[in-house]
Amino acid sequence: MSGTALAAPALAASDDLRRDRSGGVWRRTWFDRIVGWALPLTVLVAVIPILDLAYWICVRALPSFTLATLTTNPSGAGGGLYAPLVGTLEILLLATTTAVAFGLIGGLVTAEYLDEAGAGVVRVTANVMAGIPSIIVGLFGFLAFVLAFGWGASLAAAGVTLGVFMTPYVFRATDLAYASIPPHIREAALGSGARPIQYLLRVATPIALPQVLSGVFLAMAIGVGETAPLYLTTSAAAIPPSGLFVPAGALSLYIWEDFQNPLPGAVHIAFEAAFLLLVIVVGLNVLVRLIGQRARRRLEGLFQ
Amino acid sequence: MSGAAPVPSGPVVAVEKLSVTARGNRKLLDGIDLDFAPRSLTAIVGPSGCGKTTFVRSLNRMTELTPGLRIDGRVLYLGQNIYGRSVNPVVVRRRMGMVFQRPTVFPMSVFENAAFGLRLVRASEDEVDSAVTEALQRAGLWEEVRANLDGPALALSGGQQQRLCIARALAVRPRVLLLDEPTSALDPAATQRVEATLQRLKEEIVLILVTHNVAQAARVSDRIAFLHSGRLVEVGATGEILERPREPLTMQFITGRV
Ligand SMILES: Nc1ncnc2c1ncn2[C@@H]1O[C@H](COP(=O)(O)OP(=O)(O)OP(=O)(O)O)[C@@H](O)[C@H]1O
Ligand SMILES: [Mg+2]
Repeated sequence: MSGTALAAPALAASDDLRRDRSGGVWRRTWFDRIVGWALPLTVLVAVIPILDLAYWICVRALPSFTLATLTTNPSGAGGGLYAPLVGTLEILLLATTTAVAFGLIGGLVTAEYLDEAGAGVVRVTANVMAGIPSIIVGLFGFLAFVLAFGWGASLAAAGVTLGVFMTPYVFRATDLAYASIPPHIREAALGSGARPIQYLLRVATPIALPQVLSGVFLAMAIGVGETAPLYLTTSAAAIPPSGLFVPAGALSLYIWEDFQNPLPGAVHIAFEAAFLLLVIVVGLNVLVRLIGQRARRRLEGLFQ
Repeated sequence: MSGAAPVPSGPVVAVEKLSVTARGNRKLLDGIDLDFAPRSLTAIVGPSGCGKTTFVRSLNRMTELTPGLRIDGRVLYLGQNIYGRSVNPVVVRRRMGMVFQRPTVFPMSVFENAAFGLRLVRASEDEVDSAVTEALQRAGLWEEVRANLDGPALALSGGQQQRLCIARALAVRPRVLLLDEPTSALDPAATQRVEATLQRLKEEIVLILVTHNVAQAARVSDRIAFLHSGRLVEVGATGEILERPREPLTMQFITGRV
């Protein structure tokens, strides 16, 4: 066997790919390796505290957690969480209704009807609103609903105040959902003789709805744990609210109050309440994921 | 066939001194006069930016969806000015359907896409069924989708989606179909199927086809209108225009020099 057949023929410098440095240095450098490790690491760093937190809440809440926790009212430093659970859900219902009423209409009008300039003004306003600290929203609710409207510390005041807090989130999701519909879809619908309202209801809304719903559920997940908007607008009532204008307790308020309560056992209630909130928040987030997945399957190919 | 309505004797669409002006007095179209006879396929050709899209969009008042355009002159549909005071643009668009450069199916089933225009006017279920079937047949898509009418339209190929858009426009039985470069996003095989569909349809209704492709115009049209810088330079029978254009500009365009 002759060696010459295997020996690589000498390459001219201009043909030698490995010696051509015009593309810059190409090596797997230590930098590439660090980036390769750093990404999973940062994810881990972000996830570990959350899992740790969830773990400790479960460890401290579950031993004392029974069915009675869900069905009995709080009493002193003991009892269950029936009243704050019902209160939280009712406040959340009222808040979501408020946020959807304003956020949905606002987002729809901004995305579909306002011109560039008008939409810009509304979007900046909404962003500013979203950046207002929740305690200030609470103070606003106190001044407006509790005092000026004369609703007192109540389910209504707390629900509407929390709704104000949640509105920018719903607004942003709605605005984005409708504004990101490809313009050729709108042209095609109107070109088929659809009236603008028919386009909105029959074409745009089925496309935008999943994103809007996701936004609503995310706003609920953010809002349900908020304490500040409720702190000045309702009180930690120990029985479920019997009407709109009586105080309604909430899980987040109970965490706040029971943590400060020196009586033994109170801290347990705080952890049980935290556990319940965690379940609600996780549930809402799972719902968001499911909606997103289903929508992606249905709308695949639309946005290219 | 395109419904029971008798074919009119005069032009179906008559464009008179049509001008479209953008902000800053920029003329996108300048004094276009052009008639469209029943059962014809007119190709609108011209270099990029000459106003082809603007022209077809002004035939069914789609130009109104772009703010800042002023329209002068008249577009007569069976003798009635579509820009007349008491004419609703929605009604005009139902008579003159439009197909765009890229397929624009909606995220619904194949059937519901084809039925879209009929649902807008609350057609009865029986009417919708028969009109959808007929439209899919006329668009040359029926055999391919009949087994899967309830499947998602977005799962169809690009060429099938484009023919579905043609079916959607046909389902309301328009007399005029405006097509703005309907095959420019399709591969040769899909293009060929759409062209076959167009050749069948021109025996029934008025087709106005924008194309940047002279070869396509040669294959499917009876008549070519050549636009340049917003003006109608020349219009005539396809063979005439391709073989003996009167204007030097037309000559330059069809030989690929503009
Ligand atoms: N709303 C508008 N405002 C101002 N100018 C416009 C507007 N719409 C289109 N134009 C301009 O009008 C001219 C004609 O545009 P049009 O889209 O009708 O051309 P076209 O012949 O369809 O081109 P193409 O072959 O590239 O599709 C172009 O120069 C374009 O930039
Ligand atoms: Mg064009």
